Amino acid sequence: MSYVFYPGCSLDGTAKDFYSSTSAVAAKVGLEMPEMEGWICCGSTAAHNSDPLLADALPAFNLQKAAGKTVAVACASCYSRLKMANHHIASDPVVRQRVAAATGAHYDGATPVLHLLEILGRQMEADVEAAVVRPLSGLKVACYYGCLLSRPPEVTQFDDAEDPTLMDRLLETAGATVVDWPHKTECCGASFSITDPEIILDLSDRILEMARLAGADCIATACPLCELNLDMRQKDIAAKRGHRYDLPVFYFTQLLGIAMGAAPKDLSLGSLFVDPHPLLRSKGLDPDKQPRVAEVTR
Amino acid sequence: MTPVTETLPATGAAAAQAGGAAPQSAAVTVEIFEVGGGLAAEVRAASGASPMACYQCTKCSSGCPVAARADLMPHELVRLVQTGQRGSALGNRFIWECTSCHTCVTRCPQQVDIPAMNDALREIGRREGVAAKGTAVPVFNEIFLETVRKRGRIHEISLMASFKLRTRRLLDDMDKAPAMFSKGKLPLLGERVGEKAKREQIFRKAVAAAAAQAGDAKGTSGQQGGSR
Ligand code: SF4
Ligand code: SF4
Repeated sequence: MSYVFYPGCSLDGTAKDFYSSTSAVAAKVGLEMPEMEGWICCGSTAAHNSDPLLADALPAFNLQKAAGKTVAVACASCYSRLKMANHHIASDPVVRQRVAAATGAHYDGATPVLHLLEILGRQMEADVEAAVVRPLSGLKVACYYGCLLSRPPEVTQFDDAEDPTLMDRLLETAGATVVDWPHKTECCGASFSITDPEIILDLSDRILEMARLAGADCIATACPLCELNLDMRQKDIAAKRGHRYDLPVFYFTQLLGIAMGAAPKDLSLGSLFVDPHPLLRSKGLDPDKQPRVAEVTR
Repeated sequence: MTPVTETLPATGAAAAQAGGAAPQSAAVTVEIFEVGGGLAAEVRAASGASPMACYQCTKCSSGCPVAARADLMPHELVRLVQTGQRGSALGNRFIWECTSCHTCVTRCPQQVDIPAMNDALREIGRREGVAAKGTAVPVFNEIFLETVRKRGRIHEISLMASFKLRTRRLLDDMDKAPAMFSKGKLPLLGERVGEKAKREQIFRKAVAAAAAQAGDAKGTSGQQGGSR
């Protein structure tokens, strides 16, 4: 399958670390996905909150640029909007015709869209396994999928809607121990980051608490909104709710990158708010130190 | 909405005449509200969601992450839409706190698409000027989409700055921008992309379509179905 990468606005800014670690992992497993030329914002929550045509037309504008390739996405929010637009456009001729009128080009809603977890976990499992040089032994990870990957299942067709396991299996392949926990798909408050942070504090607090109760050392995410909420907001949750977690929150690509021996600058672990280095050091996984030979030939 | 008033006769009188001991109840006057129609049909036309399918099992509210903090629970909102109680259905805070997480619709035995219904209610409420006071979401959405129209991509620093200026929330989360900046998460210069004319066209058509839909909804409310 040949891919074209749709990064989306977050990966250009607040989630630069997601972009660099994604590229590092892609290089390690031999996944080629050049960035889509001239992509624009998918419209995100703002578009579907206020204007149904815009919510379908902005994604369609981008999906038309794929020219027969599969669109690979890392941001769960973009993924959800692109998939939703495809669903509306493919299933409703009226929408199809309105979108064509708005974008000036006919689009049938058939460009395939896959999340990085689907590509790595379903199509490149063997390559991932082969690229692991430094198993994440002893690291207990709570895999957090959030809302947008698995729901609504008939639209995203990602994995089991209530108990997705794609990320769990990938991180297990990378040698981590994944914890069994019930908040894999609970909502973190997503887009209220700027408009109503109190919602974020309430919801993210519950998720962090459950991860800790389940015995996790850290959380792995696949969404820029989730990562920022769970990571950056821990300070506010400690100050305003009195709950201190100090639980590192990674992008799953950062963890895979560590396991694959990616360069520290590509992993960009310094951009996380809760410093993950003490944890990684305690597990003998300091990315700044080269893996020992014994680890390489496990 | 003005109710129809109807008086139900006393019961048990006939049984008592026949020598039975049926319980008696006095005549009662009830107010009957017309159920359904307008608002549910408008929601359906705008979003494809079918509030009328709901049988109030409350499963949606059990899993809703914001139900506990909001002024309404999702199953209650669906009932308000079913019974056409416009004021409460459009003017509540809940629709502005819904995170569109899709937990409710994924679990609903009747596939009532509450997040899509909420999108429609936000849109109708904003149009009719009855949206709940105190929510900053519409201002944020407006600035966000304006940025997309002008630049093609979101530049987070400019977005946050415009939002703070417009809502005068200058001091909220003051520590966040410098912290993100020091983490290299807020580039000062955003990218701009080409094809501006095409973007302008998409936005123009969307505004026109929304206006047409609004006109339509007024003329055909009560009619079921339609396209989103
Ligand atoms: S889960 Fe569905 S049927 Fe049950 S109350 Fe909620 S909307 Fe109604
Ligand atoms: S989509 Fe909205 S109403 Fe439904 S569960 Fe999520 S927050 Fe609640």
